[in-house]
Order: sequence, then C-alpha cells, then structure tokens
Amino acid sequence: MTDAATPGAAADVGRPRGLLTAILRLAILFVLAGIVLLPLSTTVLDGFKDLGELHDNPIGLPRVWLWSNYWGILTGQRYWQVLGNSLLIAVVTVFLTLVVSSMAAFAFAHIKFFGDRYLFAYFQLGLLFPAVTAFLPLFIKIRDLGLLDSYWGIILPQVAFSLSMAILLLRNAFKQLPAELFDAALIDGCGYLGYFRHVTLPLSGPILSTVGVVGFVGSWNSYLLPLVVLNSDSRYPWTLGLMAYQGQYSTSWQLVLAFITLTILPAILMFLLAQRYIVAGLTAGAVKG
Amino acid sequence: MSLRSLAFASACVLALSTPSFADTTVTILHVNDNPAAKAVWDQAASDYEAAHKGVKIQFKYLENEAFKAKLPTMLQSEDSRPSLFYSWGGGVMEAQVKAGFLKDISADVADTAKSLSPTAVDAFTLAGKTYGLPWDTGAVPIFYNKTLFAKAGVKPEDMQNWDGFLAGVKKMKAAGVTPIVVGAGEKWPMHFWYSYLVMRIGGANALSDAKAGKDGGFKNATWVEAGKRLQELAALEPFQPGYVSTSHGQSAGVFGDGKAAMDLMGDWLLGMQGPSSSNGKGLPDTDIGVMPFPSLTGGKGAAGDTLGGVHAFVVTKGAPPEAVDFLKFFSGEKYAKAAAAAGAYVPVFNGSESELKNPLVKQIAGILATTKYHQNFFDQDLGPSVGRVINDISVSVAAGKMTPEAAAAAIQEAADQQ
Amino acid sequence: MSTTTSNEAAGANRGGTSAWTTLVIFLPPALLLFTVFVFLPMAESSWYSFYNWNGLGRPERFIGLKNYQYVIADPVFLRALLNNGLIIAISLLLQLPLALGVAMLVGGGAWGSVAFRMIFFLPYVLADVAAGLIWQFLFDGNVGLSAATTRFLGVEPFYLLASDRWAFLSIIIVILWKYFGFHMMLYVAGLQNVDKSLLEAAEIDGATAWQKFRHVVLPLLAPMIRLSVFFAVVGSLQLFDVVAALTRGGPFDTTHTMVSFLYYFGITRMRVGFGSAVGVLLFSFCVIFALGYRRWVMKDD
Repeated sequence: MTDAATPGAAADVGRPRGLLTAILRLAILFVLAGIVLLPLSTTVLDGFKDLGELHDNPIGLPRVWLWSNYWGILTGQRYWQVLGNSLLIAVVTVFLTLVVSSMAAFAFAHIKFFGDRYLFAYFQLGLLFPAVTAFLPLFIKIRDLGLLDSYWGIILPQVAFSLSMAILLLRNAFKQLPAELFDAALIDGCGYLGYFRHVTLPLSGPILSTVGVVGFVGSWNSYLLPLVVLNSDSRYPWTLGLMAYQGQYSTSWQLVLAFITLTILPAILMFLLAQRYIVAGLTAGAVKG
Repeated sequence: MSLRSLAFASACVLALSTPSFADTTVTILHVNDNPAAKAVWDQAASDYEAAHKGVKIQFKYLENEAFKAKLPTMLQSEDSRPSLFYSWGGGVMEAQVKAGFLKDISADVADTAKSLSPTAVDAFTLAGKTYGLPWDTGAVPIFYNKTLFAKAGVKPEDMQNWDGFLAGVKKMKAAGVTPIVVGAGEKWPMHFWYSYLVMRIGGANALSDAKAGKDGGFKNATWVEAGKRLQELAALEPFQPGYVSTSHGQSAGVFGDGKAAMDLMGDWLLGMQGPSSSNGKGLPDTDIGVMPFPSLTGGKGAAGDTLGGVHAFVVTKGAPPEAVDFLKFFSGEKYAKAAAAAGAYVPVFNGSESELKNPLVKQIAGILATTKYHQNFFDQDLGPSVGRVINDISVSVAAGKMTPEAAAAAIQEAADQQ
Repeated sequence: MSTTTSNEAAGANRGGTSAWTTLVIFLPPALLLFTVFVFLPMAESSWYSFYNWNGLGRPERFIGLKNYQYVIADPVFLRALLNNGLIIAISLLLQLPLALGVAMLVGGGAWGSVAFRMIFFLPYVLADVAAGLIWQFLFDGNVGLSAATTRFLGVEPFYLLASDRWAFLSIIIVILWKYFGFHMMLYVAGLQNVDKSLLEAAEIDGATAWQKFRHVVLPLLAPMIRLSVFFAVVGSLQLFDVVAALTRGGPFDTTHTMVSFLYYFGITRMRVGFGSAVGVLLFSFCVIFALGYRRWVMKDD
C-alpha cells in the first residue's frame, strides 16, 4: 500500500509499515479508547437504570433495561424543541465566528499596519481573563442592547468570546501558507479579498473545521449564558431544558444522563461532518504545481 | 389622506380604544418541583384567574442553583423582574431589601398575616416592615431507623440528652450499626449539627448576640463550645465511611437503604429517601421514627427549640397590585389545607396542620406548633458569605481539621469582612 | 500609514482590493463584538474589585485595595495557586506528549483514524454536568472503580474524593481525560501541513520512523505545538469546569483552582468585589506569562 494511492492522506506519518506496526498501533489505540470511553459508556448505560440502581451499581450493566427512560425523552416534544434551539444557536454561532475571526485573522496575517501588534494582543486578552467574573456586566450590556430573551443575546456574546482563540489559531495557520502563493496571486491582479476567498479559505479547511468544532461544542454545552439571558421556555437550549429534571431536593439523575446521552448525538454528527475537511487535507504540491 | 395613512390611523384608534383587558401578568419565580405542591399552586392560580378577569398568574420553576444564579440578574433588569419570588429569608433577603428590590407590604397584608404562624411571618419582616408572606415551614428533627435502634439495643428516650446520645452512639458502633449518615460533601448537612449545638448551648439569643458582636461575637464561648461538642461526637467515628464526599442525595439513599441509624435532616427526607434508595422504595414509614435533637445539661437552649427553614414569596418593587392581592388570596385557609392534605408541605396557616395525613409529618408539625424558638437555617440567616463559612467549618471541625477556636474565629472574620 | 511591501503596494496598484480597504472591512466586526461583549465587561468587573459589593444594585462601598489584601492572605487562594501550578506541569509533561503521540497515530488516513479521533475527542464534548456525576461514581469508594480495585486487592475501601491528600489526583485524571482530545485535534490539524513529498524524500534517504518524526514532522508542527502549549498554560490557569463538576474545591478546599476559588468564595458568597480581585490577579499572572512567552518562545509566530 503506497502513500500515493490515498490522495487525502497528506500526513501519513502514522501509517504503519508492516503488520506488526499495524497491530501495535491498533492495540494502543484500542486500550486508550477503552479507558476514554468508560465514563461515556457509563453515561449511556446509567440512562437505562432507576435512581436507586445508580447509587448501587453505577458502572455495570443495568439489571433492568428501562428503555422507557430514553423513549420518554424521545417522544416528548420538549426534547426536539430544545435540541432545535441548541442547534440553531450553535450553527449561527459557529458560522459567525468563522466569518468574523477569519477576516480579522487574515488582516493580521497579511497586512502590516500601525499598531497591529497591539491590536492583536488586545484580542488575546479574552484568553487571559476569567470570563466568569465578567458575568454581571455582560448581562447588563446584553440588556442595554435590548437583546434579552433573544437568540442573538446568546449568539453574539458567544461569538465574541470565541474570537480570542479563533483569531490566534487562524492567524497562525494563515501565516503558514507559503508566501509565494500570495505574491503570485498579487502579480495575477488578485486583490486581498480575492486571495482570501480563493486561496486562504479553501486551503485552510483543517484549521477552520477545528475552530468550527470547538466553537460548536462550546455553544452546544453553554448553560450560564442562556440561563440569564432567556426567559421564554420556548427558546431554551437543551442545557436549560435539562434543568427540569433537577429538582430542589432530589434529582432524577438517571433521566439527566439519558437526556445528555441523546444530546451528544448532534455534536458527534457535527464532528463527523467537520472531519471531511481534515481527511481531505491539503493538496500538497500546490506550491510546486 | 392616502389609503395607507388612513389604515394606519384607524389601526391606532382601534388600539387605543381597546378596553384595558390588557392582561396584567403576575409572574412567580420559584424552586419547588414537588408535584403535589404544583397541583395546589396551579389550582390557586386558576381560581384567582377565574375570579379576576384580565389577570394571568404564571408560576415559573427554576432549579435551585439556576434560580440563585439567575435571580440577581433578573432583579437588575426592571422588565424581567418577577412580581413575586421564592425566598428563604435571612441574609439574602436583607441584602435584597437594602438594595431596594423588595416592596413593603406590611399595610396590605396585616390582616392576612394574623392567621399565619407569627414566627414564620417574622422571618420575612425586617425593621417592622413585611416584604412577603410565608407559606411553609419545616423543622429538622433526627430521623431514626427503628429496626437498627432495636438491633443496637438503643431507645430514643435515652437519647434525649447529649450524654445519653453519645452513649447510644457507642452502643450502635458496638453492634456494628453505622450511627449517623450525613451528606457532608455538600457541607450544609453537617452545619445542622453545629447549629443545633449552638442553639442548645447558647439559647435563643446565641445567634443575635453573636451578630451583635457580644463577648467577641462568633468567637465567644458558645460557638467554641459547640465546636468542641461536635468534635466530641466525631471522635466516636459515628459517620458513614467517606462521609466527607457523600452528597445529600446519596445520604438519603443510605438512610433509605437502612444502612445508617440516624439522619439529622429536614422533613423533605421523607419524600426523598424512597426514590434515592437502591430498591426505589426505601424504609416504610412505620420503620422511621422522629426525635428532637438532644439537649445539653447546663445549656441555655430549650429541648423544644427548633431549627428549620421558612419559605415565602416576597414581592418586588414595581410589581402590580394584583401580585399582592394574589399573595393574600394564596395565603388563605383553602390552599393551606389543600397543601397539608396533599402532603405537599407543612403550611403556616394556623390550624391547617390538622389536614396532614402522614403521621411523621404530623409529629413534626406538632413540634413546630409548640416551639418557643424557631431558628431559620444558619446559612440562610447569616447570608451567603458567613453562611458558607459556617458550612465549611462544620465539616472541618467534625473531621478534626480545624480547632473549635479557629473555626469560631473564621466565622467572625467572615462577618467582619461583610 | 503602513509599511507595505513592494508586493502589496504593487497589488494595490494593479486592481483588486487594496490593503486599506481590506483592513476597513475585515477588522471592525471582530473589533466591535469583542470590545462590547468581552473587553468592556472585563474592564468593568475589574473596577468592582475596589468595592465591597454583593452584586445587587450598584457598587457603593469603596474599599480600595482591601479585597486584594484579603485574597493574598487567604490560605485557600495560595493553595489554589499551587494547584494551578501543578496542573500546568502535568499538562505540559503528560497531556501534551500524549496528545501528540495519539495525533501521530490518528492524524493520517490509517484504518479507523476518524473513528478514533472522534472517540478521543468525545470527552471534550460531554457536558460537565454529566462528566462530573459519572466521575464521582467512578471514584466512589463504595461502588466505583476504586471500590472494585480495593475489593480485588482485598483492602479497605478507599474514598478518593474524601481524601484531602489524594482528591487532587481525581482532578488531574479528569483534566487529562477531558482535554487531551482537544490538543490532539490541534495537532491533527497541524499535521495536515506536513508536506508528503518531504516525508517521501526522507524515506528515500533511509530515515527511520523516529528520524522522520524528529526532523520532518516536529519542525513543521512546531508552530502548532507552541500554540498548544500556550493554550495549555492559559487554559490550566483558567481551569474551572472540572473542579466545579467533580469536587467543588473540596474536600476541605484542597482542590481549588484560582477560578473555582473566585467562583465559590466570591460570586456564590455574594462578594463580587472579592471575586473580581481574584480575577484581576489571575489576569496579571496570565499577562506576564503571555508577554514572556511571546517574547522568548513565539518570536517569529
């Protein structure tokens, strides 16, 4: 099996040569995967139990498989509604984050201007300050902008908070694209905008999808921001919808876990979607060609 | 005039001339997810709506932690403020009053309040002004497992004073029975033990004296002594193994499984121990007993003094007058009795305890009816900052990680920094 | 205004958007969003650190630097500082190499790569409320994994989360479990930059796998590694979610990080000014790190 046979595998560094290496590789991966998956499988299995068994036998297989736990959630209208809300918020957040951050990252990567280093450092501040402290003033801003109880009141702050990491990652990636490409494009009369659209973005699939997935997960699991921004039940993302299972004195943890298991599925789908861009990878040789 | 502006103008006229059946909405934010309570409240809401056209009553549930996270932000924003919200009284309510968020309803509810338990109403009165009306109260007794008591040869009558209590614990250990279960992972269950000790040693004025700074405030002899007693108990190793990381839910399960003899807990344990236990049923009520916290000889506190929470709906400034009206309506006899009958909670309407069905709850209500001093949970009363310190030190002292003197000093320090 | 290269100036003259136009279109959206929703709230909350304020109404009791005094004198804060340091060390010594190793195994197109990538990334996806609960079960002395182990070895049950000496280990385990997949993803993305032809050339020259790694892959991955280290350090300093889900800082406040300390001792106790003071201190540490890192490590990035 030659490398050239698989056009997508740009970095076949891990491709085993020989059966022994292949087995070794798989052995290591399977063991690691087992360790990593144990907590996750526990989550799934615990969704089938009742509360008492959770205390008694949290890790093993359920004594009685309460399919009704899962079925009850799937057939409830609430699940689909909150899932839809979460999806809407997450997708728009990711889209906006990618657009806004890639534009800014591009500017930082290719254009020298007065104060560019300071401005770039300014964006990094977002990584250095604990967001949880800024909660109250953030709420007041959202309120003053009239964005309370709306999806935008969640989406815009989420995009803003993702910018620090996204711009950092993207700028670095953009800078790594060969300089000759840029010069060649300019000579051909392609301006910055054109270069951005036709060269930078297409070639940055892997990093864009990484930023996208991280942004999706962040938005998907966010709880505190929607909690304080939203008032209408109909707009609740799944994290708030879940709250109904958490009582004042005792919580139906088995239902919580079943619910969460069901909500991981869209995140997994998103991940698989994004992976297309990573496996496809660069066309190595774009420079030489 | 063009057709468009004519249409617009008529629309305006129509809008303005609509009789103001503009619905007034009364929103009530709360944390109670008990279905029995919900049924009673929904009934009250629909009864009121039927009698008052144009008013909508909306109960809105939030989980406990979510409620505490969201309420400050809701109060900050005038249009998202609920009209009424659930309150535990104490330091948090004080802070809300000081910040000007609550409405003084003393005049409006003077009559209604007369039929409610005076101590309960007091919990929501500051400097003579009432800000809400209570609807339930509870007490924290020691729930015990009758079977395990019999197994260890212990009788509840012998456990009525501290020395007898300690002797009983020793007997249980000797018989291989875990004497006490406590969900110290969440800290507040342990502070019940400390609080009661303070109450038994220092009497009804212990807390107010400390707040006023008498004799060194929280560093005074009462608080140090309470710590010493707690350590005395802890030295017998009465708690279940790993108690420092047991959650409240787990502890209810332990009690329901019959794995520990005693649990010093609020009356909600009765509803909780069943579902939390391994078989989903827990102990039958016939196997559970209720006894008061032991008294200490030489202590200023009376054996009948109780610790427990009181819950009310308080009124926010800017709430429509219908909100106060509904509050009075809701605090009436009808719904208190309905709640008692449904076993939703122990209502504070005088005399409604007669409707209670569960004998254990009746027993608790009886204790409450005769108590001369009912103290709100320390960690509510003292506010979130000092309250959490009390929770912290209770566990540390019990585990032997902190001396009683250091613990008392820590409480005082937190009070000073307020 | 800008020192454009001759190329860039040339591009501007030959049609196509100029640098200036691009700047005006590309920067403001990010700038606006970031300033309104991130920078301003952060600046305001820093200002709260000079007040004794419970979060209701407006801050009124100015107390100057008192909050800072309280923070620095608090033994729990100092312990949290130490904990943060330990987390950074473990991250750099264990987590990153692990992530890199795994990325090498799944970064290419070998059998099952995508599936494994997803599996290793899943911990990052799982919501904290579930992860915290499950790990509490796993560590439980009565019924968890540790219980199974102690029973197997025939020793007394061990309550990891109740032990003030060992509870921190649980935090470390969960951090490794949760975040190594994130760094793995970064390296996988970075590996896509490694030019196949260079690898083939090295192979033709007879390089072993290790040599290929050291001399071809590593240098090309270096920028991503530097970034990953930056995120690891800053992320470790800002760590909160794992602590909140697993131990809430206990037992006996031995497992706090600075941010969990901020949250449990500041915000939930309605001591907003105190919490903000912790935030500002943490911010200062991060800035010092960032400046130093930029200066000595990420010179050319």
